[in-house]
Amino acid sequence: MASGMVRTRIWRDILAGCLLVAVLAIVPALIPARAFQDFVIRCSSMALFATSLNLLVGYTGLSSFGHGMFFGLGTYSFALLMQRTGVALPVAFLLTLLITAVTAVAVGAICIRLRLIYFAFVTLAMQMLLHSVVISWVGLTGGDQGLMGGIPRRSVLGVDLGLQYNLYVFSAVVLVAGLLLMRHIVNTAFGTSLRMIRDNEVRAAFLGIVVWRVKLTVFVLSAVFASVGGMVMSLFVSGAYPELINWPISGDAIFAIVMGGIGSFLGPAVGTMILLLLNDVVTRQTEYYGLALGLIILAFALGLRRGVLDFITERLGGRPAGGIS
Amino acid sequence: MDASALLDCVTTSSCLVTQTTSGLIVGMLLFLVAAGLTLIFGVLKIVNFAHGTFYMLGAYLAYTVFQITGSYWLGVLGGGLGMALFGVLFERFLIRRVYGANVLMQLLICYAVVLICDDLVKIVWGPDFRAMGMPPEFQVPPLFILGGVVPPFYLVLIAVSLLIGGGLGLTLGLTKIGKIVRAAAHNPDMVSALGINTTLLYSLVFAAGGALAGLAGGLAAPVRSLTPGMGFSILIESFIVTVIGGMGSIGGALIAAVVLGLIRSFGTIGFPQFTEGLMYIAMIIILVSKPSGLFGKEIV
Amino acid sequence: MRANQAALLNRRTVLAASAGSLAMPFIARAQANPLKIGIQSIFSGPIALLGTSSRGGFQPEIDRINATGGLLGRQIQPVYRDSKGQPQEAARVARELVNTDGCELLLDAEASSGAFAVQEVVRDLGVLCIHCAAETSSLTADPKLRAPTAFRSARQGVHDAIVGGVHSAKVAEAKKLTKWATCSPDYAFGRDTTAQFLEFLKHFAPNVETVSQSWPKLGQPDFTEVITKILQARPQALYSALYAGDLSAFINQGNVYAMFGAMEVFVPAMGDLPVLTGVKNLPAGIQSACRYLPAFPDTAANEAWYEAYRKANNNDYPTNWSWECATGIRLMEAAVKKAGSTDGKGVAAALEGLTIDSVFSTTGKVTMRAEDHTLIDYAIGWGTTIPKAPFLTAIEPGDWGQIAELETEWKKKNGYV
Repeated sequence: MASGMVRTRIWRDILAGCLLVAVLAIVPALIPARAFQDFVIRCSSMALFATSLNLLVGYTGLSSFGHGMFFGLGTYSFALLMQRTGVALPVAFLLTLLITAVTAVAVGAICIRLRLIYFAFVTLAMQMLLHSVVISWVGLTGGDQGLMGGIPRRSVLGVDLGLQYNLYVFSAVVLVAGLLLMRHIVNTAFGTSLRMIRDNEVRAAFLGIVVWRVKLTVFVLSAVFASVGGMVMSLFVSGAYPELINWPISGDAIFAIVMGGIGSFLGPAVGTMILLLLNDVVTRQTEYYGLALGLIILAFALGLRRGVLDFITERLGGRPAGGIS
Repeated sequence: MDASALLDCVTTSSCLVTQTTSGLIVGMLLFLVAAGLTLIFGVLKIVNFAHGTFYMLGAYLAYTVFQITGSYWLGVLGGGLGMALFGVLFERFLIRRVYGANVLMQLLICYAVVLICDDLVKIVWGPDFRAMGMPPEFQVPPLFILGGVVPPFYLVLIAVSLLIGGGLGLTLGLTKIGKIVRAAAHNPDMVSALGINTTLLYSLVFAAGGALAGLAGGLAAPVRSLTPGMGFSILIESFIVTVIGGMGSIGGALIAAVVLGLIRSFGTIGFPQFTEGLMYIAMIIILVSKPSGLFGKEIV
Repeated sequence: MRANQAALLNRRTVLAASAGSLAMPFIARAQANPLKIGIQSIFSGPIALLGTSSRGGFQPEIDRINATGGLLGRQIQPVYRDSKGQPQEAARVARELVNTDGCELLLDAEASSGAFAVQEVVRDLGVLCIHCAAETSSLTADPKLRAPTAFRSARQGVHDAIVGGVHSAKVAEAKKLTKWATCSPDYAFGRDTTAQFLEFLKHFAPNVETVSQSWPKLGQPDFTEVITKILQARPQALYSALYAGDLSAFINQGNVYAMFGAMEVFVPAMGDLPVLTGVKNLPAGIQSACRYLPAFPDTAANEAWYEAYRKANNNDYPTNWSWECATGIRLMEAAVKKAGSTDGKGVAAALEGLTIDSVFSTTGKVTMRAEDHTLIDYAIGWGTTIPKAPFLTAIEPGDWGQIAELETEWKKKNGYV
């Protein structure tokens, strides 16, 4: 691909991102429903998390069942830094990224030695281990009650994130920035080597790709983006709770990816939106939302047999950019 | 960590006997559930995330049959047979459609089934917990063996579980159908090419897996509480057992389940705070050093 | 099926009211400007009973208020939501109830972890909220966690610990029980209540020593290894903070080992009807707190409430949460009437120190204590189980003077005052 074309694409993506933020920033003036803002905040958090997992699943072929550990680590590190130390929000943000990256190097170094379902299980065990540490280390984490008492000093560059509208715009900006960065990552040469590893690890190694180093790098990168999602969630719930680091949270991201489309960059974000919408709408309608949600998921999964965006892309005759065939 | 308490326990016969039987009963029931999970994985390479739900439905079915007939063994049988049928339907109408699809798609389908079944249980049996109660024939005082306390009911459960496990092992090891199952686990295409009906075979494997989980649920029903969502913790423990024992290895599941039961019964005396964390650490160490598990064939 | 019952009840009352008075314009007007109250709880998973039996406590009260002209002349429209027991969902649901559904008041029947999350939302939004199920003491006792417009109509953990300690110490002295074991769920509520219970027990019976402590996981399917561990320690008495399904499994498995004959057992959560009726082969002689029983207080009014509850709720038994929720909405009703509005600050001011008539009290009245926004003077007492109805006998009521005194001491020790 010519570098000029790449540059054009980057600018086009950035423009689209800015447009999205601008539109979102005006919407509340037209529709004053605060639930919409809440929805966007939660959606930003989970969409970042799901897209980061798809760096592993869709682009590298590493199905992690424990990615939620980094989402949870993000919520806990961030909330603890804000509550226990006097640092400003941006500093806590960067420190959390650092903590996550260091942890991910250690965890990743162990996990990427394994493949397929074994990789899935070892990541799951890692998350469960971290979860049981959070539960038993009551002095630091508050145990099963989580970190209560709210998050102090919620301001960035003088903008008070305690106000809902500000947090809403902030999370939209974080979402767009995160998505742009991840999009850039998968479109570089590094992204190409990810797909080569996914399609044929042996051939990739033969072509001079240091497989373990690439895998570890993408593992750490995806962990860092997941922790950003965790931090947005931490701001939304004013704290951190063990449910945010427990196994089902990994499941949420996996389901978002599968529903939205493994092979499309925006698939996980679309899947997140579908799942959150379903959750919010169905829980309003019926107490038996499990039944309703389960049936809808089955209809989706058996009807399309792939994610929504992948389905649309294939119908339009295109080939999905990623994905496991 | 309380090493002296642990030492005291393993050196007195009463404590040794009591804790060993208590570890065995926990382990044997877990083995039944994990055996089905590992069997399904071994043959079909499907991780059945709905397996805990099989266990839950088996327990509820047994509860209802017991209420109607008053017979515990009919209840257990009802749980087992009902779940065998459920397993066949589950395979035929859902899982069969996603063979060869991404493992995450299979996970999604199982998740949907878990959601649906938890709600169905709530609708049919109510949101409250249910207790079957001890069947009259087992309302007997515990035995004292070498100073240790051993409930006769648990001895029966251990024996029945061993019988079921032994029967499964013999079927797989000695019969023709067992050979086919093992061959299919090894090389499904070859089995299919030899003219064996793999469609039927896969149904059979899911029936067996479902029956094992259903039997375990039914057997445990007199002493455990039945709640919607009760399958979740069993599922997690079965995963640990399956992974440690080697995914696809029935014998490995038996040994891992008993070891896990014993770690729990002696661990609660020696190091009560961190038994759970230890399980995960063991799981990680085994996965990293020998991904196929202690007793599985080398796959990676 | 029961999901629709609330709606059905509503429709039935509205129909009855319209048929009775033919006052269609009034009802039409009332329906045009209903007073929405957000009610959140857990309606799914292993403790869905929390949600269903809480709704069972709320809905008849709402129907009664609506049948008699509503609150401030407006018909109450409850908006029920399920948080699934997840704190982040509880926070979202609370915000959404207020922001989107336009609820002016909140009734929160979440378990403790959810209630703490709701508390933060209430602090942000300034809406009036009554926690109707969370018992963890710090929710209102700790001034750092207390919120100006949040109250608790549920029992408070430390009250139970005090009454339990006093009662158990008496039994311990009489029966010479000095070697105690504990077995409680391994999470904050279980650990806190156990520590508080032991503290007050040892305060009154200094000879007591703890010989063994077990902490099974919440929702653990099998307690066998814990039971055998307790048997190994050969205690004379056992305290357990297990409840609901876990407690039932613990008792069934303990029966297999004949545990209940081997020691005196103290279980505060035993005295709730679903447990008492749900446990098969209930052992006699377990010492238990009374959570809710139609026979305590033994009054005609309490019995009548019990009958009415079962009639309105599919013949289900009311739980401890049912009376806490019924009390919550009655307090809310009285305070809104007194304040003349639903404004958070106004209703909060009216609620502080408010006393209402209540069938759930041995004195016939309960009070929302002004200083820490928590309920006092409710029925609290310990009795002994028998295998048949009324299941709990010889109930000895706690002394609220003594409770207040010891509670203050406890608060001082924890730096809450």
